[in-house]
Amino acid sequence: MSEMLLKARALCGGYRDFQALFSIDFDVAKGEAVALVGANGAGKSTLFKTLVGLLPVKSGTLTFNGRDIAAMPAHTLSRQGLALVPEGRRLFKGLTVEDNLRVALDHARTVEPGETVWTLERLYDLFPILAERRRQVVEKLSGGQQQMVAIGRALMAQPKLLLCDEISLGLAPKVIGEIYAMIPSIRATGTAIVIVEQDVSLAQRCADRIYCMLEGRITLTGASSDISREQITEAYFGVKHAVG
Amino acid sequence: MRWVDAIIQGTLLGGLYAQYAIGMSLMFGVMRIVNIAHGDLVVLLALIGISLAAVFGLGPGFLVLLLVPIGALVGWALQRFILNRLVGDDPLPSLIATFGISIALQNAMLAIWSADTRSLDAGALASKSFQIGEMYIGLLPILVFVTAVILTAGLSMVLKGTKFGRALRAAAADRDAATLSGIDTKSIYAKATAVAVGILGIAAVFQATRTTIAPADGGGQLIYAFEAVIIGGMGSIWGAFLGAMVLGIAQVIGSRIDPGWGVLAGHLVFLVVLAWRPQGIMSRK
Repeated sequence: MSEMLLKARALCGGYRDFQALFSIDFDVAKGEAVALVGANGAGKSTLFKTLVGLLPVKSGTLTFNGRDIAAMPAHTLSRQGLALVPEGRRLFKGLTVEDNLRVALDHARTVEPGETVWTLERLYDLFPILAERRRQVVEKLSGGQQQMVAIGRALMAQPKLLLCDEISLGLAPKVIGEIYAMIPSIRATGTAIVIVEQDVSLAQRCADRIYCMLEGRITLTGASSDISREQITEAYFGVKHAVG
Repeated sequence: MRWVDAIIQGTLLGGLYAQYAIGMSLMFGVMRIVNIAHGDLVVLLALIGISLAAVFGLGPGFLVLLLVPIGALVGWALQRFILNRLVGDDPLPSLIATFGISIALQNAMLAIWSADTRSLDAGALASKSFQIGEMYIGLLPILVFVTAVILTAGLSMVLKGTKFGRALRAAAADRDAATLSGIDTKSIYAKATAVAVGILGIAAVFQATRTTIAPADGGGQLIYAFEAVIIGGMGSIWGAFLGAMVLGIAQVIGSRIDPGWGVLAGHLVFLVVLAWRPQGIMSRK
């Protein structure tokens, strides 16, 4: 495996007194695409929120790019190159498409020499519709276009690792196809991606490796090509299912 | 001509209220904080200004240059050390905290400056006026109004066109998402309150030159700022300005009908707007 970007060991986390994550081991290598699957309530979003600093690490270790980030606040982590496309998009209502993107650009990580820089122009090449709608307030966009803004906003932060939480949720199949078509372009810039996805087939096609979560624990991990649907089903539901 | 004069004088009076209101609107719009101590901060800055003027013989212009940074520092410290611990989805903790700060400030001011009324001498500026037909318009009220327009337009431009303004609006729209975009929301909040209270440094000088000031006057100033913000629409900077104009005009027209009805007329207009359009005149909702 190539150089490790994100490394969590025996990570525990949750909300106040409620523990939702139990001894999570989770790795992402530089430039890698990883899928995180699991049923609702498995702890996928909680893991993402813990990784980006929105929720505290209760115990265990968490490093990003070789640096201990367990106690780092979210805004600092964003400037280190860890970006999240949150579930439900969480766009800045009342701001135009371009202002939503500029907010992240204003506070972006300083890009090292030789790295690809995400500019507005590059993003508009990836999502041409956003160039047409750049002056519109985001509430007036369709769900798919709003998701493009959410992804674009995360890219404007110049991430080394992009975490995408259920980016296909509530979108039409055609739009999901358009959204997922951008993943190779993002990976081509050297950015690693972790996607949370309910559609396991889609997750397997996009990712190099898969993690499966159940009740706050990692129940399965491996290369996408090596894991069968039956293994995922078992890890997903926690029981052996009769197929057919 | 009497009513035209009333509208002009009311608009000019609204200029002073606008200077109180835009800071309050900024704090509510960005952090959902209703700052009960807003009026007391005007009084505090005015009393500091009056004392500085008495000791060093400073004129109103110099006082503005001093009171704006003092106000900004007070606002920054207030947010950094107290309000940042309370800001969140529930506006009640910050409401109670600013209520407590208001009482503490009033008592501290009473201890330092006593209950005596004080004012600033604006020199010839206080009595200069222009005659237009049968109307006389004071130079000081015009200066107050022009300053209010500049402050409102300036703040509006900062919010729309600068990195700081975008960060403020983003933090107002979604605090967590702003954090995920690299914004240190606590720092942004402290800067927003610094701007809001810094503006009061200008309002304090105008208030102290226009009328007398006493430590217990903060409540009255708070009510006018609050009414202007509600009339215009909470969180809208130009809404607060418009609300201040409506309040000023209502008060002057009321006082022309009967000298005792000025303040009452303002309150009545506030209640009518609250009943007719509780989200405020300029709110999009």
